[in-house]
Amino acid sequence: MKLLVTRPEHDPTTRYISCWAGVIINLAKCKGFRVLDLHRGKANRKEFEGRMKKLHPELIFLNGHGNDKSIAGHDNETLVGLEDNHQVLSGKVTYALACSAGKLLGPAIVKEEAIFIGYSDKFIFMHDFKYMSKPLQDPKAKPFMEASNQVMISLLKGHEPQEASRRSKEKFKEHYKLLSSEADSDSSQMAQFLWWNMRHQVCLGNDGKNN
Amino acid sequence: MAKTETKYKNKSNILSDEEVRNLVMARLSVLSQDTMISLGEEGSFTRDEMLERIKEGDEVGEKLAEIQLEWLRSFKNNSSYEIACD
Repeated sequence: MKLLVTRPEHDPTTRYISCWAGVIINLAKCKGFRVLDLHRGKANRKEFEGRMKKLHPELIFLNGHGNDKSIAGHDNETLVGLEDNHQVLSGKVTYALACSAGKLLGPAIVKEEAIFIGYSDKFIFMHDFKYMSKPLQDPKAKPFMEASNQVMISLLKGHEPQEASRRSKEKFKEHYKLLSSEADSDSSQMAQFLWWNMRHQVCLGNDGKNN
Repeated sequence: MAKTETKYKNKSNILSDEEVRNLVMARLSVLSQDTMISLGEEGSFTRDEMLERIKEGDEVGEKLAEIQLEWLRSFKNNSSYEIACD
């Protein structure tokens, strides 16, 4: 099995999600996946489309900025766009850690016999200025990234996409419960954003089911 | 869900309501100074930058207000409470 990962890294948000996607890459390698890692400048459209066409990865993990109609790579170059090249994900299982792509792009992708897990609105996370150079140690980012990564962990374990999304939502809930019981204002705000992300995670495909 | 979205997708003027603006600012003003919030391609913001955006009523401020209102609304229909208790 092959896993293709895009990891742009040109601002604090992409730096954080790229580092946390590294955890998934390590796990995938341990499980025997061949990993196609499009990191930093390699997360461009030419490389992405080329690897998709030549190597046919079955599982796709897109990290980057997004909107209703597209998902971007390094320096915000469009990698997948609605009515542009979205057919490139035909027949694939894709998890997009990107804002809003589950709204219009995701539904178009699943018309191509694909499965798409993503977010129908902004993916929001909190982090700590003191940890900008070491995102994996940032306690404020951890609940968000762990809950997001649960999608990929479950897919790598062989669970069905709907189950992977369900497990991710359970992880969001787990952190939500812990943080909402804390008295400090940071925890309370983190809980609110976890709730927001969980509410907007969508799993599209398999006869139009939306989990 | 459709009703909620319809109501709060009127994003252009949520912050024109002074009570809402004060509520959102009050909640964010108590965050610790090192905390940053990543809002996708709009960027990462410190507490003070967020408060400025809310005062200006720009897209970032409007999104933060939208989240705040949907969150409060979720208590009315018990969805947040149920998550915390299940």
